[in-house]
Amino acid sequence: MNRCAEQRLYLALFYCLIFCVSVAWAQSRIKVPTLTSRVVDLTATLDANQQKTLDQRLRMFEQKTGAQIAVLIVPVIGTESIEQFSIRVAEQWKLGREKIDDGAILVIAKNERRLRIEVGYGLEGMLNDAVSKRIIDEVIVPTLKRGDLYGGINAGIDAMMRVIEGEPLPKPTGKDDRQGSGFDLLPLILFAALAISGFMRALLGRVKGALAASALLGLAVWLLSGLGWLAILAAGLVLLITLVGGYMGSGWQGGRRQGGLRPYRDDGGYRQIGWGGFHGGGGGFGGGGASGKW
Amino acid sequence: MRKVFYLLAGLLLLSLQACGYNTLQSGDEQIKAAWSEVINQYQRRADLVPNLVKTVKAYASHEQQVFTQVADARSRVGSMQVTPEVLNDPAAFARFQAAQGQLASALSRLLAVSENYPQLKADAGFRDLQAQLEGTENRIAVARQRYIRSVQEYNVVVRSFPTNLTAMVFGMQVKPNFSVDDEKAIVHPPAVEFGHESVR
Repeated sequence: MNRCAEQRLYLALFYCLIFCVSVAWAQSRIKVPTLTSRVVDLTATLDANQQKTLDQRLRMFEQKTGAQIAVLIVPVIGTESIEQFSIRVAEQWKLGREKIDDGAILVIAKNERRLRIEVGYGLEGMLNDAVSKRIIDEVIVPTLKRGDLYGGINAGIDAMMRVIEGEPLPKPTGKDDRQGSGFDLLPLILFAALAISGFMRALLGRVKGALAASALLGLAVWLLSGLGWLAILAAGLVLLITLVGGYMGSGWQGGRRQGGLRPYRDDGGYRQIGWGGFHGGGGGFGGGGASGKW
Repeated sequence: MRKVFYLLAGLLLLSLQACGYNTLQSGDEQIKAAWSEVINQYQRRADLVPNLVKTVKAYASHEQQVFTQVADARSRVGSMQVTPEVLNDPAAFARFQAAQGQLASALSRLLAVSENYPQLKADAGFRDLQAQLEGTENRIAVARQRYIRSVQEYNVVVRSFPTNLTAMVFGMQVKPNFSVDDEKAIVHPPAVEFGHESVR
């Protein structure tokens, strides 16, 4: 028995160690920069004019084809490989339209002299690995070798745009392609419903109130698990229960968020509040593209 | 009487969400999806092999040993059963991993050999194939990473209380994950080494 406890202690220590190591590891990766515009330059290499020109060309391209291209210039990447970094950027920025996945990113690590074209699922047909590699080796790298970063990027996105134009993409719809705002709002609606029901419960009795709260809770979790139509149904039910079943306050513990198994969406809050500038449309990436160095 | 009914209804709802049955189900589905993406990308790599070998052979026909190694590894991968049931069988999973690892190292040897043939390296077709292989290795890495993530989330649910009870009742077990050891070999695209061959 004593031995058992000892073993457990060691196990606990072991997990602590693993935790610390993983925290340290997580910190050694650099943070994905915020997507503020189509050209994110953290090295201040491009002047305002150049940045504007590139941005404008990319914007016009998006208006024409619907595909989103962005450029990211960072000084260094650190311990990760450029592929690992760039897929993290892609997962967070979500360039390209949702379901069409027509996004691409040109990532440049200036001081490490490495670059990568990361290609969304929807563009992998034309802008495939071999073509991306050729653009890097034959178009961008020679210019970068001469020390002309702007020229390299300009020629690079030029080539990318020309290739992507060959991809049969659905026409861009006039308005913004941001996905369903109603869906994003649902948690908020639920929150409001909860607040109201809490208020009701505080106002009135207890037993039924607690029951209503528990039902609410169950449905809230369902909701968070992401079934849209069910969620709406649930919201209605919540209201119904709050109104009919019971108002009344008794202890109900704050929301248990079981967000655990949601698909890869760890970027909370990026799309909810509009920021005047540029945002990804929800496109997916799977590691396609090519890397190079100069 | 009415009160009892409300109480029961409330408890039922509570237990439905607390037991985590739905969470487990959706996690299971997500793992399957992530796994088929992994398989998909491995398949893509295997499909590249014949062309790659053909191209290298055109310039380096007497490197017979490497070609046989690649062919062997490729056929071993090809003969593998990769149904989702593999996910519930750690031994089969390990075999699958080992076979893919062998193909990876055979391919990196093939690329290492090709370093000795300047004409081959200059061949446009070969360079395209090389870019495709690198891209595919990267896709494999991404798919594996996503699989690892979904298995992690699922396993946490299977193991933690009280959802572990639900998992036990429905016979849902912890899923095998890729081992770190093997991960290292694959995260980095096949290194093109000069002189010595990479040995695993």
